[in-house]
Amino acid sequence: MFKYICKRIVYLLITLLIIVTTTFFLMKKLPGTPFDAERFSLLSAAQQAQFLEKYGLNDPVIVQYGKYIGNVFRGDFGTSFFYTGQPVSGVILGRIGPSALIGVQAILIGLSIGLILGIIAAWRHNSGIDYFTMVVAVLGVSVPNFVAAALLQYYVGLKWGVLPVAFWQSWKSSVLPSIALSFGVTAMIARFMRTEMLDVLEQDYIITAKAKGLNQFKVLMRHAVRNSIIPVVTILGPIVVNLLTGSLAVENIYSIPGIGSLFVDSIKTNDYSTIMGITIFYSAFYIFVVMVVDILYSVIDPRIRLASGGKGE
Amino acid sequence: MKKSKLLALILAASMVLATSGCGFTGTASSAAASGPAQSEGTAKTSDGTITVYDTNEIRTMVQWAASDNNSFTILNNVSEGLYRLNEKHEPEPALAESYKVSDDKLTYTFTLRDGLKWSNGTALTAKDFVFSWLKQMSTDATNGYSFIMTDYIVNGAEYLDNKAKAEDVGVKALDDKTLEVKLKQPTPYFVRLTVLPMFFPLNEEYVKSQGANYGLKAENMIYCGPYTLATYDPASGSTLKKNDSYWDAANVKVSNVNVRIIKEQATALNAYKSGELSRVTLSSSDVPAMKSSAEFSSTSEFRTNYLQFNLANKAVSNKNIRLALGYAVDRATLADVVLADGSAPATGLIANGMYGDGTKSFRGLNGDITTFDAAKAKEYWEKGVKELGSAPSLTLLTEDDSVTKTVATYIQGEFKKNLGIDVKIDSKTKKAKNQLMDDNNYQMAVTAWGADYDDAMTYMDLWTNGTPYRGNYKSDTYNSLIADAKKQTDDAKRLQDMLSAEKTLVSEDAVVSPLFYRGFAYLTKPSVENLVTHPFGPPIEFKYASLK
Repeated sequence: MFKYICKRIVYLLITLLIIVTTTFFLMKKLPGTPFDAERFSLLSAAQQAQFLEKYGLNDPVIVQYGKYIGNVFRGDFGTSFFYTGQPVSGVILGRIGPSALIGVQAILIGLSIGLILGIIAAWRHNSGIDYFTMVVAVLGVSVPNFVAAALLQYYVGLKWGVLPVAFWQSWKSSVLPSIALSFGVTAMIARFMRTEMLDVLEQDYIITAKAKGLNQFKVLMRHAVRNSIIPVVTILGPIVVNLLTGSLAVENIYSIPGIGSLFVDSIKTNDYSTIMGITIFYSAFYIFVVMVVDILYSVIDPRIRLASGGKGE
Repeated sequence: MKKSKLLALILAASMVLATSGCGFTGTASSAAASGPAQSEGTAKTSDGTITVYDTNEIRTMVQWAASDNNSFTILNNVSEGLYRLNEKHEPEPALAESYKVSDDKLTYTFTLRDGLKWSNGTALTAKDFVFSWLKQMSTDATNGYSFIMTDYIVNGAEYLDNKAKAEDVGVKALDDKTLEVKLKQPTPYFVRLTVLPMFFPLNEEYVKSQGANYGLKAENMIYCGPYTLATYDPASGSTLKKNDSYWDAANVKVSNVNVRIIKEQATALNAYKSGELSRVTLSSSDVPAMKSSAEFSSTSEFRTNYLQFNLANKAVSNKNIRLALGYAVDRATLADVVLADGSAPATGLIANGMYGDGTKSFRGLNGDITTFDAAKAKEYWEKGVKELGSAPSLTLLTEDDSVTKTVATYIQGEFKKNLGIDVKIDSKTKKAKNQLMDDNNYQMAVTAWGADYDDAMTYMDLWTNGTPYRGNYKSDTYNSLIADAKKQTDDAKRLQDMLSAEKTLVSEDAVVSPLFYRGFAYLTKPSVENLVTHPFGPPIEFKYASLK
């Protein structure tokens, strides 16, 4: 297992380098500059020169790339153009917390409700609860999370006054955005779990287990659920990354200083150093999550042997 | 079961990790300011706190890098210039108690108040102004506002180009309390410039001790304004606390101010309704429903949206065509019905309320030089078409934001209704639109200019250099009027030059056709009084506000 993880980390670094390189050169092809053209034109020639020099934009792109990679290895991600002078690492670190908290909470809510709904739906196939679950699943997937966010804000926040309408002030502020984000997760998990469970419940070993005289609950939990959960773990990886990166609309609606809005803004304003910083963070995170998911497979299903050449992907 | 427990454990652990670094803005350092906000139901405005918001991040607190209104809002309230705008938007003595101007109007001598102090206890002296102004005129300044000093101050431009030494620049501390400024030409509005953030003082010793960290966090700054910065987070906002060492602290009534960042209009409105905000700006669509509310008010800014004609383009190089297009737009309907957000119909290039002669505004003195007249429009159009030989096909270049698109569609309708012509709309992103204009690749465009300072010159000298962006306008009459205004020592004659210049540009040569002055409609909680919004420069002023 240790050897396997080491190998994966090496792959992770190589993949990362490729992503960083591609992004760096693509980014330089973005139209415009990090500066407001009108303001920049108001700078004197000497000011412009000093400004470009400070950000190293005078050099050829390839030299800029070399310097950038060098700095990254020293742990220096540069300073933001948009937030003049603020170190990129600080800007990103300050924004990860809120996104991570609402993301993780949304997954916990979505995972627990989704699993329960999926299991019950499969167990009571073609019953009322099964239909209910499927309606929830369809709604959860088709209603965009920002609609849910706006509705929750209006009713729970404003009309009922139970939770804060917006802002990021205490843990309470994170509840509504987490719920808004969790709908999609619930729906997806419930559907996957149900389908997989139905399949597993048909298997011979379930019949055997039942024949052995195990009670219903034990059959369900020990044999059916564990074998159905692998596909759920597979989709969990992308879901985790998605929630951390794709919650822009929800962040804006609840005025949360999260990383989703930072990413979009940095691209809109050509904030090169922030774009690169977030790219590195996102890709490292994504690759890491994929790795964790692979390791989880072996934990859940011992038949998947990672160390002995299994790729797990 | 054991294995799924493990899964749960991993998730739980990651959650703990996440929570430990989630950075709620309401915790730790700003607990005092946001604490009361969490008592549900009650408006936080009742306990000495005003909460406002901005729609964009606060980009920087470094004044020689700041160029956006959100940064200006904070800077203006935590710092101060020689003068400060009062509730009527006129400059009144602030860190300076008075000034004298020489007979040739070229030397200003400001006297500072007694006992001025920075928030860390250091004495604030005339040297702090010299340091800060030289910084703004150096290559370190990245806000693009060096011109606002180098255009006026002796040897400022030379200093910026490294052709003059600091001691040759026309800003000197004669002693701790006396600041002498030497100007290149008479500038009747110079005192009105000193209210702007670029002119605020900076303590050399402190700024140098902070190095690259200066202004990055609230604790990396010292303050001399009505407030100090308690917390500063570009993305979630700032909290301000009353500055007890401020010279006029006795007259600052509100002790806490929050400036939040809210990007969604609907969120701001919900937050306002739930008592989380003291004021909310309304979108056009919300105005009709709220107009009758006692909390409703509106104001217009020194910002003119206008049609820029490109004289290098054959079709609109014909003056009659330009006049026709100008007369064809009903601006009152545009501002009051279509925009309905507090915007005011334009009657000239210089916005309502801008400085004139001290008793009357510039607009009041020059009258309505932009009017709507469908009959005249038709008449000029026919003349123009005859001169051109055929009716030109026209395209209107515009930005792709919703307000500008609405305006462009309305204008298109007016051209159809009053001239019977079909004008195409070319809507582009801001960057792309500006690029097309710079490249001389447009016929006419909807564009805008906001005043940097309270004098007509902030608009008028834009059209003296004949760039494609300004429609390739080259007029000796106009240029000589502006040149004369710039060196004129007689204020009355200078004003006359400016008034004539506006008429030349707008009604005689019809190079631009003003449309409206941008406005804001907002709701303010009844408990909040005197929360002043200035029409230019630093927008919101907390100093005069009070709570009932």
